[in-house]
Formats: sequence, structure tokens, C-alpha cells
Amino acid sequence: MPSTLREQVASPLAGATDQMLSDRAADGDLRAFEVLVRRYGPLMRIYATRVLGSNDETDDVVQESFITAWQQLGTLDDGSAVKSWLMRIVSRKSIDRLRARRLHVNIEDTDAPAPESHAPHALAEAESQTEALARVLATLPEDQRRCWTLRELAEYSYGDIADELNLPLSTVRGLLARARKTLLREMEEWR
Amino acid sequence: MTTVLPSIEKLDALVRQVVGVDALYPAGSIVTAVLAATLGAVAHRAPIAPLVHIAHQADGLRVTAKIGIGAAESSADVSGRVHDAIAEHLRHSGNPTVVQIAVIVASVRPSD
Amino acid sequence: MTELTPTNRRFLAFDLNDTEREQAGLHGHTIEQLSDYLDRGRVPADPSIDDSPECEIALRGLERLRRAQQTLLDKDLKRESLRDDSWVASILDNITLEAHAGREIPLSHPSPTARLVVTEGAVRGVLREVGDRMQNLFVGRCVLVGDVSVPGTPISIMVDVTVFPGQNIPLLAEQLRHAMYVALHKYTELVVAAIDITVSDLQALPDSSAQEKEH
Repeated sequence: MPSTLREQVASPLAGATDQMLSDRAADGDLRAFEVLVRRYGPLMRIYATRVLGSNDETDDVVQESFITAWQQLGTLDDGSAVKSWLMRIVSRKSIDRLRARRLHVNIEDTDAPAPESHAPHALAEAESQTEALARVLATLPEDQRRCWTLRELAEYSYGDIADELNLPLSTVRGLLARARKTLLREMEEWR
Repeated sequence: MTTVLPSIEKLDALVRQVVGVDALYPAGSIVTAVLAATLGAVAHRAPIAPLVHIAHQADGLRVTAKIGIGAAESSADVSGRVHDAIAEHLRHSGNPTVVQIAVIVASVRPSD
Repeated sequence: MTELTPTNRRFLAFDLNDTEREQAGLHGHTIEQLSDYLDRGRVPADPSIDDSPECEIALRGLERLRRAQQTLLDKDLKRESLRDDSWVASILDNITLEAHAGREIPLSHPSPTARLVVTEGAVRGVLREVGDRMQNLFVGRCVLVGDVSVPGTPISIMVDVTVFPGQNIPLLAEQLRHAMYVALHKYTELVVAAIDITVSDLQALPDSSAQEKEH
């Protein structure tokens, strides 16, 4: 179950299982779908922001993801797996955005604008580990960040990540190991 | 190609006024509806295409209305009334040849 | 925060490019192996890891990384949940009933030019609503089995239902079945031969103060 901190107008469906909500949404129940949007939308937004390195396009990516989900819910066999299914959709949409961005950059023949998180930041001595982690994550090479985010946020197995990114399992292992080491080392320096 | 008779533009309002009709959805192709919605969004106003869809074909008119109804009455009663209202309206607007008047009940709104 | 990791010098052990140096600094292990070990809850115990100070330092670092990761996620989720609700509305405004309209179910009318139908999606909505009006159960998937597009053809309905604990399941199912027949008769002209109700799951009763919200 996700953390929902905001008090919402309660609906009896708010306590329903993922399976029940997916089944109903697949049958066209908007209220059930809305509960899923509230339940997993925040995590999907965080995920997209991490992958994209900035949140300019997050709203679009998450919205597109849910529109796709609504249309394709009927193809989801196991409603209880809706969370990872949604994460997979938002992952693909995020990667599509990255590709489009690269293409755009090539056409323009200019440097990509630095993601917000790369902007010069006053590095206060007392900066928390969390903030350090957020910044280091943002500076990881794209393929490492993608693997790490799929693993840690979307809770993918190594095999799922390999399938999703169309990479050999050994490459995924290597990228994750490298990301982990970089994060460890950088965080150590910020202690 | 669809041309719209002046009085036919009033069909949306006519259908909405039928007792038991709770919502009116775009009845044309999805492409038309999306296009209209997009154009409407660009212009910051409501969709420009009429929701009730009218196709002029060689053999006559085909009209399609997609509605949502309230829970109080049966689908057959409300959709029948919508059909009759459209048929009546067409008779008074030059009495064109009508091949079909389709009414699709796409939702039933729960009563509160 | 514990201060057991001495200096940056230690972290030469985590050489990014050289596995041999990585292993040399970690008692023959790699960071990846240590991470897997942590994932397994450090069982079965591996003395060659547990008894190595270098590994202990690295494990501590990995745990700290994991905690930071969780804190960051919690912080992000908290921030997200404080956003206003417009993003939900804008998603819901952009989806249509089209995708789940299903088949068209004919309704009769005396005029030869009339083609009146109710969509399968609307009928499923009616069936769900019947369930939502009853206490102590949720209606899940509803399937209309048979050729609904030909008037007079007998069809059957399959419904998944979740019933809350402590209910008389046969009685609830019978009440639900009856209410569904009534609703189907009102909103369709289907000849319904059977309504098969499968009680598929049990779950805890939600907060009794919960109120239905009309979107």
C-alpha cells in the first residue's frame, strides 16, 4: 500500500485491493481508476522526474501513462500486478521522452539544456544525506540512473530490467553495480 | 463530406433538453472528436464540432446521438424520446429523407 | 550517525574500474555481492563477510544508502501528496468512455429508421452500481456471456464479488442477483438466463465513516 498523506474525500473504493480496482477500471469504472491514479500517481511522478532529470515534462509523461493504462487495462491479466504494470508504462513513456529530447538536440545541433538538478547549488556543509543522494542520483549517467530507478522505485528484478531496457542481464548487473558504487562513494564524501 | 443544415446545429441543445438525458457525448468518429477537442483547447473554448453526428449520404441522412441517462427511467424510454425528438425536429426542418436515427446510451448515472 | 568509516582512503577499495582492486579491499568480495547479501537479510550467515572489518564498513555504507533512498522516497511522496488535486482532474478529463464501451445491445422502437442501443459498458456500470448500493460487498468484473447484439438471444452474466467478513454469503448473493435482474430488466431488453456470482475474495471492512464521493 502506498503512503497517502493527504486527507482525501473517502470513497468506499479507496480501501479496495489493486485487483478489485483494476478489474473494475478494466470494465470502464472511472471511480475505480481514479483511486488507482491517486494510489500510484505520486510514485509514478517521482519515478518520471528521476529518469528525466527534471520535472518539466513529468506531468505530461504521467498523464500519457494513465491514458495508455486506461485504454489497455483490459490486457492486464493479473490485476494485483497493476503497480508494476503502471511503473512499466511510465518507464517506457519516460524513455520515449529522453529519446525525443536527444533527437531534438541532434536536430538543433546544440547542447542539451542542463537538467535543473545540475544547476549550481550552494553546497552547504550541513546538507543532509538525502539531499546529497538526490543530487548524486541526478548526475548519474542516464543508463545507470534508469537501472537504479527501475530497481529501487519500481522494484523490478534484474531480469525485468534487462527485458525492459533490452539489455543483457550482465550489462544490467554491471550498470547497477556501478551506480551503487558511485552512490556509496559520493555519499561517503558528503558525510 | 458533411454539410450541416442550419437548423441541425440545434440538435445538441434539443437532445440535451429531452427528459432523462443526463449527458451528451461526441458521436462522430474518435478522430473527429479528438480534433475538435484539440482545436477547442487551442482556442480555449468548448469543442467546436456538434456532438450529435450527422452524415449526409446519397440515400439520405444518418443521425447519431450518444447520450448518458439518469437512473430514474429506462434506457428504452429515454433513447426512444431522443429518437422521437430528433425525428420530429427533422420533419420541421425541411423533412429530409432519413435513413437512420441512432441513439446510443453510453452511461447510466447512478442516482444520488 | 555512526562514524566508523575512517577516511576517504577506505573508498579506494571501491575502485570503480578495477574488480580486482575492489575485491582486494573487500576480503575477496564485491560490492554487488555484499548488496545481495544485505538483500537476503545476511542469511545464511557468511563468516568471510561478517568477520571482515572492510566488509562491515561497506555493508554499513550500503545500509546508509538504503535508508537515504527510503527517506528520499518518503520525502518525495509527501511533497507529491501535498500538491493540489488538479493533476488528477486533468488525467480524468482526458480519458473517455470510448475505450470500454464494448458491444452495442439493441433496444426496440417501432420506427424502422430507429436504431437504439445501450452499450455493454453502460450495462456493466449499472451492475456495479447495484452492488455498490448494497452494504458489505464490492462488485468486481462483470462479463456478459453470449450474443447480446441479437434481440431475444438468452445470455448469462458472470460477476465477481468481494464480500466482507462475517456476512451470510448465500443470502447476500441472492439479494444481489435479484437486484441485478431488476436493473437489467429496467435498462436493457436482454433475456438473462443466469447470473453467476463468484465470491472471489474476502477483505476487511473499510472505515465505516467512509462516504461515497460523486466525482
